[in-house]
Amino acid sequence: MTAPRPGNGATAGGDVGRGWFPLDAERHRRDAPRYCPGCAAALSLADGGQGLVCEYWTGPDRVFVCFCGACGWFGDIVLAARVLGHEAAE
Amino acid sequence: MLTAEQNEELTQVAAGTPMGELLRRYWYPVAFTRELEEFPVRPARLLGEDFAVFKTPRGRYGMLPEACPHRRASLTYGVVEADGLRCPYHGWLFGVDGSCLDQPAEREETNFRERVRAVAGSVQEMGGLVWAYIGPSPAPELPRFDVFVMDGVRDIGWTDLPCNFVQIMENAVDPHHTEWLHGRFFEFMARHQGFDAPASFGKKHVKVGFDAFEWGIIKRRVVEGASEEDDDWKIGHPLVFPYNMRVGGANIEQMQIRVPVDRTTTRFMLYTVHAPVGVEYPDQPSVPDYQIPVWDENGRHRVDYVEGQDMMAWVTQGPITDRTVEHLGRSDVGVTMLRRMFKEQMARVSRGEDPLGVIRSEHDRIDLPCEKNKFDAGGSFAIQFIDRASSRFSPQADALKKLHIKAHENGKAG
Repeated sequence: MTAPRPGNGATAGGDVGRGWFPLDAERHRRDAPRYCPGCAAALSLADGGQGLVCEYWTGPDRVFVCFCGACGWFGDIVLAARVLGHEAAE
Repeated sequence: MLTAEQNEELTQVAAGTPMGELLRRYWYPVAFTRELEEFPVRPARLLGEDFAVFKTPRGRYGMLPEACPHRRASLTYGVVEADGLRCPYHGWLFGVDGSCLDQPAEREETNFRERVRAVAGSVQEMGGLVWAYIGPSPAPELPRFDVFVMDGVRDIGWTDLPCNFVQIMENAVDPHHTEWLHGRFFEFMARHQGFDAPASFGKKHVKVGFDAFEWGIIKRRVVEGASEEDDDWKIGHPLVFPYNMRVGGANIEQMQIRVPVDRTTTRFMLYTVHAPVGVEYPDQPSVPDYQIPVWDENGRHRVDYVEGQDMMAWVTQGPITDRTVEHLGRSDVGVTMLRRMFKEQMARVSRGEDPLGVIRSEHDRIDLPCEKNKFDAGGSFAIQFIDRASSRFSPQADALKKLHIKAHENGKAG
């Protein structure tokens, strides 16, 4: 089995200018949690942390899936558009 | 979305990077067994490094870095001998363990030979593939996953794709794409190109679920008309961490293999075993392999079969997709789970621990959970799979269909 080469010189995000989504990317980066709720270690590599923060959307809420490389804590942090109570049982 | 640094880290394969070190804890297929039967040495590229993989006349396999430690000529042109591989340039001979056994032009009384050593990979053969491990010693056991050792009629489709392997793995925890890419889009193309799209792929997902387990992530789905009692939910099928996905249905068992050849090249392989019940399987002196098409004559992606559609989606995301500008939704929770798993396992390796899926105990076979009644489609799935997935390009496609039909008829008669 032989494979085409090379390919190692490429960097992630080479096509960053494609499409319109880059316009609001900065806002999402700004809102991401920066420190672990469990041990307060930095989460992002840029801040010297070893964790992961990955954002997804659900309805009007924005959910940040967090993993702390320092203490192993993981969980979701939600930027909720509204806070709702549960409905009364019938 | 991820930050640029996170995306950079997640997509690295080079030695010394957290992801590259994680990936070096696993075995990968680097050649077809039949290739080294036909000629005993050949090039292999894995995790951005180049190697010469070889088989000695005594049947021992070896893998050495391609560049000879002497003056860097390619060992892929080496002379295969009983004890190892001899460089074609000046005749230095290396054993399968990387030790230098001979330096013909050097004086015997020096110990130069003992001071030179190639960093050898560990190599084994299993199921028609030659597997290599290039991580730190001691090498773990080669996992004998069920498809590689089970009885049946096997073949291997393959191609090389110009993209990072992580975006292919993210597809493995993205069940919703099935009803669109292999459902609505398939129907659209079928209408315009004049063929029939299989109905089973287009069923709407009612519910998806993901469970971490000892080999990776089990993916579950409930499609419209089915329930949690059906195989797709009750059993599901797994992403086998970090680079495989086990799929199957209707007595077709498959491992989808995505080998990180380098950072922007992935060897995509479809290792398939057809194992219908109640028929005799023909002898296979060697496992047939065949290249699956990626492009049409106009340089566009060929999208008239299931894996062709997948490959279009993976490759058009870019060589390394830019995760800083993506917008994930709730349906992408499997993707976020996989990214977290990669990160957790990188941390384990940095602490000196074995990551998920590394096995050190001897074993005969590892059975993976995999649904039998795929998409609640019953036995018709086998024929749909051969007609409209990569198996249609197999040199034995017609024989395989006959085998499944015969098994079906035998079952009815019995």
